[in-house]
Formats: sequence, structure tokens, C-alpha cells
Amino acid sequence: MPRLLSGALRLRRDPRILKLPPYLSLLCILVGVVWLFLLPRDEYSRRTYISENALLPGQVHTYFGGSDQNVFRAYKHEVNALVDKSNIEINDRLESIIKGLGLKVGRQNFTYHSAGQVHSGENVYAILQAPRGDATEAIVLVAAWKNAKEELNRNGVSLILTLARYFKRWSLWSKDIIFLVTPDSIAGPQAWVDAYHDAHDSARVDSLPLKSGLLQGAIAVDYVQEHRFESIHIVYDGVNGQLPNLDLINSVVNIAGGQMGISTTLQEMWRHDDKYPDRLRTMLRGMLKQGLGLASGPHSSFIPYHVDAVTLQPFGEGWQDEMAMGRVVEGTFRSLNNLLEHLHQSFFFYLLMQRERFVSIGTYLPSAMLVAANFTIMAIALWVKSGQPGAEVAEGQEAKPAEKSNLAVERHLFLPLGVVTVCQFLGALPLYLFNHAPESMLTPAFFIFSSLNMALPHLLSHLLTTYYAPSAQQYQLIKSFSLLLLGMFLSSLATLNFSLAFLVGLLASPLTFMQPWPRAPAMRTACTIFLNAVAPTAVLVIGATYWNLSVDTVLREAAFAWDVCGTYTPVVVWCVWWPAWLAGSVTVLGRPDERDIKAKTA
Amino acid sequence: MRQYFLSFLLFLFASLSLCVSSVVAADYHEQLVLRPLPLSALLASFNFRSNTSLSEFEAHNFRFFPRSLGQILQHAGTRELHLRFSLGRWDAESWGARPWDGAREGGTGVELWAWLEADTDDEADKKWRTLTNALSGLFCASLNFIDGTRTTRPVMSFRPEGNHPNSTSTNTHLLYGVLPHEVVCTENLTPFLKLLPCKGKAGIATLLDGHKLFDASWQSMAIDVRPVCPADGECVLEIEQTIDMVLDIERSKRPRGNPIPRPPPGHELLCDTSKPYHADDTCFPADYNANHDWMLSQIFGKNMKGICPLTNPSVPPVCLQVPGSRSVYVSNGVLEKKNADGVSRCFEIQPDADLEMVLPRIDPPAEGEPAQSVEVQELVKPETPLLYAERSFTGHGQERGGVQTILRNPSPDSEVEFIYMETLPWFMRIYLHTIEARIDGQAGKQNNLIEEVYYRPALDRARGTQLEVRMRIPPASTVFLTYDFEKSILRYTEYPPDANRGFDVAAAVITILSPDTHKSDKRGFAAYTLRTTSLLCSLPTPDFSMPYNVIIFTSTAVALAFGGMFNILVRRFVAADEGPEVSISGLKQRLRSRLGKVFERLQQKTKEVKVQQKKD
Repeated sequence: MPRLLSGALRLRRDPRILKLPPYLSLLCILVGVVWLFLLPRDEYSRRTYISENALLPGQVHTYFGGSDQNVFRAYKHEVNALVDKSNIEINDRLESIIKGLGLKVGRQNFTYHSAGQVHSGENVYAILQAPRGDATEAIVLVAAWKNAKEELNRNGVSLILTLARYFKRWSLWSKDIIFLVTPDSIAGPQAWVDAYHDAHDSARVDSLPLKSGLLQGAIAVDYVQEHRFESIHIVYDGVNGQLPNLDLINSVVNIAGGQMGISTTLQEMWRHDDKYPDRLRTMLRGMLKQGLGLASGPHSSFIPYHVDAVTLQPFGEGWQDEMAMGRVVEGTFRSLNNLLEHLHQSFFFYLLMQRERFVSIGTYLPSAMLVAANFTIMAIALWVKSGQPGAEVAEGQEAKPAEKSNLAVERHLFLPLGVVTVCQFLGALPLYLFNHAPESMLTPAFFIFSSLNMALPHLLSHLLTTYYAPSAQQYQLIKSFSLLLLGMFLSSLATLNFSLAFLVGLLASPLTFMQPWPRAPAMRTACTIFLNAVAPTAVLVIGATYWNLSVDTVLREAAFAWDVCGTYTPVVVWCVWWPAWLAGSVTVLGRPDERDIKAKTA
Repeated sequence: MRQYFLSFLLFLFASLSLCVSSVVAADYHEQLVLRPLPLSALLASFNFRSNTSLSEFEAHNFRFFPRSLGQILQHAGTRELHLRFSLGRWDAESWGARPWDGAREGGTGVELWAWLEADTDDEADKKWRTLTNALSGLFCASLNFIDGTRTTRPVMSFRPEGNHPNSTSTNTHLLYGVLPHEVVCTENLTPFLKLLPCKGKAGIATLLDGHKLFDASWQSMAIDVRPVCPADGECVLEIEQTIDMVLDIERSKRPRGNPIPRPPPGHELLCDTSKPYHADDTCFPADYNANHDWMLSQIFGKNMKGICPLTNPSVPPVCLQVPGSRSVYVSNGVLEKKNADGVSRCFEIQPDADLEMVLPRIDPPAEGEPAQSVEVQELVKPETPLLYAERSFTGHGQERGGVQTILRNPSPDSEVEFIYMETLPWFMRIYLHTIEARIDGQAGKQNNLIEEVYYRPALDRARGTQLEVRMRIPPASTVFLTYDFEKSILRYTEYPPDANRGFDVAAAVITILSPDTHKSDKRGFAAYTLRTTSLLCSLPTPDFSMPYNVIIFTSTAVALAFGGMFNILVRRFVAADEGPEVSISGLKQRLRSRLGKVFERLQQKTKEVKVQQKKD
């Protein structure tokens, strides 16, 4: 053991060891990416299974149908008559219909301000009290008047009215059922859920006049198409990449597929052959949505409050009618009604690659962790290197490394710490700018900021070289500290939002290999151009172009998500990624003080 | 419900002019009062009352008083007992005031309070334990789980209902226990019926069927035992058994063999034919509110079989509260008597006759007539309760929470004074300083709403929190009573099975004081009692499944990585051959040199002493 230890210690002094970290970092990144791409294979993913036995999905007969279809048609007429009415008029009519069913009705106003726009409306909801229950638990059925794509959800609203009438007849409910109709898909549910948990700002969102018990689950129905459908699309992404319990998704898949013979799909993969490419695509789409952390439907706002929720969207040309959709909802509600405990058995952290295949966090987390680790490895290597005298120039000439290593160079910490701190705090500027600028100003502000962003590293670098003349060691320390922070942030973030951590880690990975090029202007220019191509602003523009979105839409959505849903992706982009990028760019443009190096080598 | 009492008394005076005193002295009577409620509900109140004189009771001479219960009461030194089994919730918004002014109901689950005779608190506790254990066996309920943590001694909320002439406040102890999670079901009904003199074989008790009772939207079974001392005559011990239930008429009418609410055939749907789009395949359902016709045997699943022969014949066994203008059909051998108040009628039944009752549907009004008049005719308008109360949790997360009770006084001109009592489990630690009452629409907190607070803090694992607040609410206003609490973390073994469900918190008891209080008369003390719904409090629950492990694991990994890195940053490692040598020989040398120095010093000293001696 002592020999091994001293052997290791001798190895530590070996100058070759200091050459290793960049390769190690590269290896981490490569292994991380390859790991991710291996996940869709059968060997690494698992079949889904129902973990909570109480759910018993698809074990009950569903009776919704028959003459309920007549009622549905009548409600459809009522809803069609409301199409061009105002929110208040719609709610007045819905309220009178629901009151006619013998349910208690509440209404709630909300007003959100975002990017200079006002998002306001009124939610209407009804509580079907469990016939023999006490107001201790509740499940929610949501239909937004307009879905996330601003299409009218006529069938969805009619369906939940019909279901409300149908559910009222049953005496087996052990939990209250809340029927919620919101004017839009994001702000309305958000206001309602916030107010339900008393987490709302009472200046913008009204308190709820009626309440029930703990919410145990929520199903949103987004049924826009007028013709018969073929399959059901399950949308499950929550705000900030939080996911509902996998058991809920499994139950819906099981009920729709096993009982009703309706296939289900995920992540807008309308056709899925369950082969590697489709699985990978599903997973990557899921990761992208999770990484962006936006609300994807009325269900998204429920998930941060630990209320498991999904949105069901019928799609395709088929022969399933509204009653089949109603039976899927009925079956799911019967399953949720069986729950004795809050859903807790199955997974909350998973990547789905097909409706019946998933990987759990234990399998996928290493890939994001490896990417995050590459920054930490490099940071440590740079720290060690910066403490060795003239290592960067004199490695080859070292005659007696053993003697040399005992000499440690004093590190000049003040300047690097200052630069990294300033970079971190500068991140607050774009964060504030993009979340508070009015809508008309967003795009101009963005392009001005982007051009400033290109000039900023040059400016900072010039200021540094002119006033402080940092040495090569100080550049190393700047990079070391900024990578250290990046690695720390990303590895913690990976446990909360894996996809975001992975994507940011991947986009920031070039920063690991950036260094000053005092004697190679061509290299410096190349690196600068490359870095500008992976700058947060450039990535945003490239992404928007790729998905055919205008930058304006992206920014508005981001501001809306920040103001309404509390999405933290902008914080990660502007306060984690951007400062690291800035520090990296400054390093690339750095011109270490030559005298310092000469003095050292002499 | 006061209306009901008045009419009842009126009726008694009318029909019992011969023997007024026998109302109290009569040994047993039973009565069922049916009252249709809005939203197609039907309230059925069963009341059974029997007496025994105290002297006979003490001589173990039971006649109508159930022996099994009587012996328990004697053994546990119980002076007065109130036991409640309840399920569901009373919808005050649509059904109005509660039956019996809320005096015969409990919160969800099981509630028990009793006055025990004991010299010390310890003795009272001991007797309480005896009582709960015995009742637990008698009623097949987990009453034995009412331990120290669930027992409180209310100070303001309860007063004895009976007369306790020769007892003092020092030797009677009031103890109150509640089990909010107890599910009341048929196994509790059977022992309840066994206490009756006719055991559910005859009389109104034959209508009590577990299937219907526990399918009710709200039901409450109550047992009250109290001594009653009339001004003249001997004291008697009175046991009153009450069952109140609200049946959903539509649901109850379903045949027992086919209880599944399948969609009816299209042509049987009640449609609103006035809609322009009405067609064979399109039907806007007619109002749920529409009145239903019902038969007694449909609602209860069976006929009423005769009358209990032991009952006091002067008390009519069945009464119905519908407007006098409504026609009711009854079977042969049943005599209908309308009461003078115009809203109730009673039925006298021949001993061998079976009662069947049909309440026909009221036809919709003719064209041009206002629709409102139907509603007025159909039902007796529910009385507005003195207070509406609704309680819910605020906040989210596993660490803290809050409770908010919304209390609304609907009266336009009179204020309401009441006592709000909460018994909370010990793991909800309330912050008393956060208790606040504010009137809706007025900023700031109003201190004058709360008049008196009695608070007994919880002791961990020993007793729960008891909070009693006397408040006064001005007319036509809504008051928010809020307080915050902190959730404790339980020990691993203290979690029940299904820990992720959460923990039930008992209903708050609100006792509205009658305006002319302060008279010691117990019956005049509470004008109205109501209970809020119970709550489900989720505590931080350990979870050893995957995500938890992963988070722990990654945090550990990060912590280890940080530790290693920190070491590298602040320490300088050197190899063993580079540092000062550590070996046994080196140690020896060092020791030798130290010892050598000490010896040298000693030698010097002895030399000095010798030199001095020489000098001397």
C-alpha cells in the first residue's frame, strides 16, 4: 500500500499527468453523448409496468355511451353557440348548465402581465362532491376553451360537461371531482392551481370561492378535431421539466390500449415503429421539451404542486368517437378513484422513448453527470497547473521535475476571482432585460444585445490587458474558476432537470478547450468565431430558424413562461451558461503578459 | 329545524291532552320524520328514545334501557354519554339548517364525549380508557384508539345536556375524543340496532338497511345518554338514539339488483324539448332539480313492517314534511293527519298494517304560470342556518401549512357568537401568534372579533393541541379565521400503513351560543352546532424508492468530489521520502536527546547545591 501510494505520488509529479486532463475531458463528453445514444436500445431501456397496485387500470367496465351521446350532442350545440362570445358570456352559460346538473360552481378572475401584454380571463369550475366522502381529496378534469395552439376545444368542453352529468350518477366516488374550464391552456390553469394552493399573488389572481381537499391527479382533455379519431396523444411535460408519476401515463396507456383498443403516442410521434430511430427521436423530443421547461398544456401547471397530470389529445383519422374518449377518461378516473395514497410508487424521473419503454434516472443520469464532470476535471487541472512555475512554457526543458515541483508559484487570485464574479453578475442584465422588456422592444433588444454580446468579450479583454495586464496564470485561473462554477451548477441541475443540464453542458463543452493564443492570431480568430457560433444568443437564433419560429415568438414565450409559470430556464441560460461563455471568450482573446512569462523562464 | 320541533310540540299538545306528563314518563317512543330537500334529496330522521328510572338503573333492573350499554356506563362511572358515527357532509348551501340544530351529529368518523365521575384527573383518564375500550367492543369501532393524544378536555364548547343534581364540577370530568379516519359502515349499524327494544324487527327501524344507509349522501348515527330530572317526580336516565340520513332520491330509486347507473335508453331521457336543436338523437337534459316522485319502499328498499308494540301509541311513528297542499298516497290501515302549521303531516299506523307511501310528481306548471310557484309548492323551504363554515388548508409543501376557516353569518341583522374548537394531532404544531380573524373586505386584522382563546399546547407523542376560540361575527359578514402550523417529522415507525395518504385532522366543532346565554341551563346554552369537514394533512413521508436513492447518491457523489477537490486546493501533499523522516530510530534519538537535557539540568542543580553547601 505505501509503495502504491508513493508510486501514485510520484506519478502525480510526472509532467505527463498534466497533459492528460484535456483528453480526459474530451473522453467524458464523448462517453456522455454515446451513453445517451445507447439508451433507446433494448439492453438499456426497460418496459413500463404499473407499480401502484391500487390503480387497477382497465379492470372496470366503463358505461359511458348510449344515450349520453344524445346529451353530448346537445352540449355540443350549446358550446357551438358560444364560439364567438366573450369569456364572461361563455362562463355564464357554462355556469348555468353545470348548476342545472346540481353541482356547485365557482369562478375566478386572473390577470397576468407579461412582455407588456395582459393575459386575463376567468376560470369557471364545478365541484362534484364525493357522494359519501368528506372534502379530503379531489381529482381534476380540465378542458381549456382554447388549446395550446389557440384552437377551439369544442369537443373537449362538451365532453367534460357530459362527463360531469354522467359522473354525478355514480355513487362510488371516493374523491371529489373538480371540472375546470379555463379560457386558455397555460395562464388559466396556472392561476387556478396557484390559487388552490394559496400560492397566488392576490393582486393578479383571485382566490377561489370554493375548495375541496388535496388534489390527487388531473386529466386535461384537448379534443379539437371534429371527425372521428384514431389514437390518443399523451402530453406529459410539466413546467421546468418536471414530470408526472409514470404510473399515471402507464394507466392511460393501459386503459386506452388494453381496454379500448386505442393506441397512444407520445411527443408528437404520430407514427412509431418501435425501432431505434423512432425511439431516439421520441426521447430527444422529450428531452428538448423538458430542457426548455415550458408549459405544454393545461396539465403542466399542476405538476410543480406534486399533482400528477397529463393532457389527452385525440388525433388521426379513425373510427373512435367522443364516447370512446369519454370512456378513456372514465376509466382513468376510476383508476385514480381507487388510489388510497398519493401516487408515489413509480418513477418521477424518466425518459420515455415509446409508450411502453422508458429509462429511469439511474440509467440516464451518468451521461449528464459525465458532461458536467468534464468541466470540473478541467478546472482542477488548470488550478494545479497554475500553481506550477512556468509549466506551460517550460515543460519540455525541465531537467529535474522532482526539484522543480517543490517550488510552488504563488497564485494571484484577486483578478481572476474579480473577472469571474463580474461575469456572473453581468448575467442579471440580460435576464432582467428579456423578462421585462415590452413585446415591441423584444426583438430589437435581442439584436442589439446580440451584437453587444459579440463585442463584449473584445471590450472586456481590451480593458483587462490595458489596465491589469494579466499573466498566463491568471488566465488559467479565470478559466478554472468559471469552469468550476459551470461544473458545479450543471451537476446539481442534472438531478432536477436532466435534459436542461445535458443540453447546456453539451453547448458549453467547447469552453473546456479554450485557451489564450498569444502567438497564433489565426487560431484566436477561429476560436472566437467558433465561440460566437455557440453563444446563447446564436443558439437561440439558430434554434428558432431550425424550427421555423420567429425570434420574437421565442422571446415572448420565454417571457410568458417566466412571468406566469415560473420557468427557470432563463436563469440557467443567463446566469450559468452565458457567464461561462463570456469568461471563455475573454480567455480566448487574452494576451498574457509576455514579460511575466519571460521573467519566469529566465 | 326549530320549525320541526315547534310543530312536533304543537302536535303533542293537540293529541296528548289527556296525559301531558306522560311525554317524559313514557318509557319508549320512536318516530321517523321525512323531509324532502332541494336537489332531489330526502332527509330521513329516525329517533328512538327510552327511559329508565335512576333507581331501577342502579338496581341493574333494565327494561327498555339496553343492558349491554347500561353495564358499561355503570362500570365506567359515566354520568352522561354522547357517541356519534358520521359519514359524508351536510350541504348547508342547498339543504339549509341541520336537523336537530346540529345537536345530534358529529364530524366525519367517530366522536365520543362523556362526563365521568372521578375524584382526580388520573382516575378520570382510567375510567375513560375503560369506557372507550368497552364501547369499542360493543360498537365494532376502533374507539380503543382514542388514547391520550386524541383526548381533550374541552372547556367552553360542551355543557352537560342532562340534569346532574348531586354532582359538583370537581368530581365530574368531561372528556372528548375523536377518530376522524374511522370509516363508519354496516358493522356499526348492527350493534346500534341491537340496542333498540324492537331490534329492527318491527316499527320504523325495519327501514334501516345498511345498503341504503351507507349509500346516503350524509348520515349520522348518534347515541345520547343523560339523566333527566323533571320538576316533579323521579329522575330518569334517558337514552336517545338518532339516525339522520340524506338520501339521493335518484340514486336510491335504483333497484338493488341493478345498481349500475347505465345510461338510460334514449327515449327515457328527460329532455328540454324547448331547445331548437332538440331531436331524437340530441337531448339537452332537463334540470336535475326537477322533482321526483318516490315511494317509501323504493327509497328504503323495503316496506315498513307494522309498528313496534312497545312504543308509546300516542306518538305518531311517521311524519312527513311537505306543504299541506301536496297530495300523498298511503296504504290501507294508515291514517293521515295534517298538522296545523301546514308544512307537516303525520301518519298513524294500525299495529299490523305495513306502511307504504307515495309522493307523486308535481306536474310542470301550465303555460304562462311562473315556474317558481312549483318549487314553493313542492318543498318546505329550508331554513337558513345561523352560520356557514368551511375549512381548508392553505399553502403547500411538506414543511409548513396553514388552516383557513371561512365563517359566514347570513343573517342581515343579528350577530352570531360562537365557540370554535379544534383538536389537532400533535404533529401539527400551530403557531398561536399567527391566529388571526379578519372580516372579508376590510383590511387589517380585527382584534375585537376574537373574544376569548383557550389554548392547550401539544406535547410530542403525548397529547394533541386543543384550541377553543370564542368569537363574535357581525351581521351579514364573512370572517376568515386563519392560523399557520408546522409539520413535524415522525419517527420511522410512527407512520401508519398507507403513509402517503396523509393524516386525517378532525373536524372543528362550532357551537353557536344562544343569545340569552349565561343561564346555566344546558339546553339553552347552544343554539346551533355545526362541524366543518375533516382535512387531510400530508406530512413529510420517507420514500425509499428510486428517485430518493438517486438524489441521495448524487448528492453524496457531489459532496465527495467537493471534499477531494477542497483537499487538493488547500493542502500540499508530499511523498513520505520528501518529508521529515519518521522512524523508530529517529524517535529514539529524539527521546534520548530530550532525556539527556533533563539529566543535564538535574546534574547542574545538584552541583549548585553542592557548591552552596560548600560555601556554607
